[in-house]
Amino acid sequence: MTLEQFKAIWQKAQIDINANEKRFSELDAATGGDGDHGTAIVAALNAIVHAEGDDFKAYITDMAEKLETEASGSTSSLYGAWCEGMADAVAAGKTELDAEELAEMFEGGFDEICCVTKARKGDKTMMDALQPATEALLAAKDQGEAAMFAAAAAAAKAGSEATAQMQAKFGRARNLGERSIGAIDAGSASMAVIFAAFVA
Amino acid sequence: MPMKKFMNDPANLTAEMLEGLGLAYSDKVKIVNERIVVRAQPKAEDKVALICFGGTGHEPAMHGFVGEGMADAAVAGDVFAAPGGPKVFEAIEMFKRPAGVILLTLNHNGDRMAARKALRLAEKAGIENVKEIIVQEDIAPGIDADPEDRRGLGGCIPLMKIMGAACEAGKNIDEVLAIGNAFHAQLATLSVALKVATHPQNGAEIGALADDEMEIGMGQHGEGGGGVMKVQSADETAKIMIERLVAATKLESGDRALLIINGSGATTAMEMLICYRAAAKVLMGMGISLVNGLATELLTVQEMAGFQMTLAKVTPETEALLKATANTPYWTCNG
Repeated sequence: MTLEQFKAIWQKAQIDINANEKRFSELDAATGGDGDHGTAIVAALNAIVHAEGDDFKAYITDMAEKLETEASGSTSSLYGAWCEGMADAVAAGKTELDAEELAEMFEGGFDEICCVTKARKGDKTMMDALQPATEALLAAKDQGEAAMFAAAAAAAKAGSEATAQMQAKFGRARNLGERSIGAIDAGSASMAVIFAAFVA
Repeated sequence: MPMKKFMNDPANLTAEMLEGLGLAYSDKVKIVNERIVVRAQPKAEDKVALICFGGTGHEPAMHGFVGEGMADAAVAGDVFAAPGGPKVFEAIEMFKRPAGVILLTLNHNGDRMAARKALRLAEKAGIENVKEIIVQEDIAPGIDADPEDRRGLGGCIPLMKIMGAACEAGKNIDEVLAIGNAFHAQLATLSVALKVATHPQNGAEIGALADDEMEIGMGQHGEGGGGVMKVQSADETAKIMIERLVAATKLESGDRALLIINGSGATTAMEMLICYRAAAKVLMGMGISLVNGLATELLTVQEMAGFQMTLAKVTPETEALLKATANTPYWTCNG
């Protein structure tokens, strides 16, 4: 994957996220959050697409920087940590990454986000999409880039859909207890949309 | 019902609100770096600085309590969204001093992440003597709940008053923290809601409550917390809440206490005073005496109807700090 392709993916993700803004906020409200995930994820993607950089490391470092200075809230902090971890896992100066390097990058991003939140798969958060997507991506790395991202997108989507039956354990929804069961988690839904943008 | 609010572009709510605060209270506060509210006249460099931060939409919290005797700075995020860690760090850098900086963090996921990031940046920058106090006084999850599950609610405001006064009095950073932690150990808040709020940026209702229902134990944002029941009288509601708060604070006959009724945004001063009266009578009946309390809006949730009831044990030292001079937009004391 070239840096230009990577940048184009985030441009596409921004359009897809914007198109779903209302749905994300409704899901957030339905699961006991304060009903503004749509606003939050749109703000995060708007910040991300302002990033600049001539190689993967610089570009993704700036994504994190833009997230944390231009946007507010936990969504941006979590995406910021994800980007920082990805940037740390990439060697400086690279403008193209092979499947192995992409796998390392996504693994680094996942490890860093695990440092800032205790939430994991099963807690009805964005991690229900990110964790299976990262695992699927790593498992498919020998099959090449296209297969990796196809597997990751499918795993993110399935992981997000599975949250409908879960009870929230993190975020503002956790105090809702059993009443949080029924709708899918908004943060996992937006994460699945982002992984879908990686599928050509 | 569609949202009815006086506003312009929803994207500019926070910026315009802060601009208004700076204009209305120009003798007390000013806005710097867009999102940081600081005192119009900074306090002496040799005193510990107190910094708070949080999402907006809860006015007058937190930025309404910047000024002499309370906070040195409040960093605003966006509506119901904490500022990013780097923005909180900016305030820490602005107020760094040998006496130290205390960051007051409410226990909500976004706030905790922002604080962690800001403290890490301060450490990397070599700024020493930066400490944190975490407010987690909501007893909705249960009196014996893990502190990590207890959110920070309106009890942060009297805590800020006490710690701010201690900073002003020239206490060192460890003394200020010890005073804050001791007050927090016997500080508890419980909320009740009659009507949910709408999110000012998208008009959506936050949560749901039937016309004949109320809910005890809802959070700062109206997220659920159990305790849905038919609407009770002021006396009944106050009694249910104050009994749980007394149990949580372990107050006993002969103790002195601070009682606050903090309106959520659409509850009248009349209702707040009636509920204050009911809770105060229960406390007095138990032999608990009260210092001057508050029945007003401190930390709101837009136009939510309901209130937070805060109870805290008060010692002669904390009573003096509560009465000490304060000159902020929304809490003034003549000392």
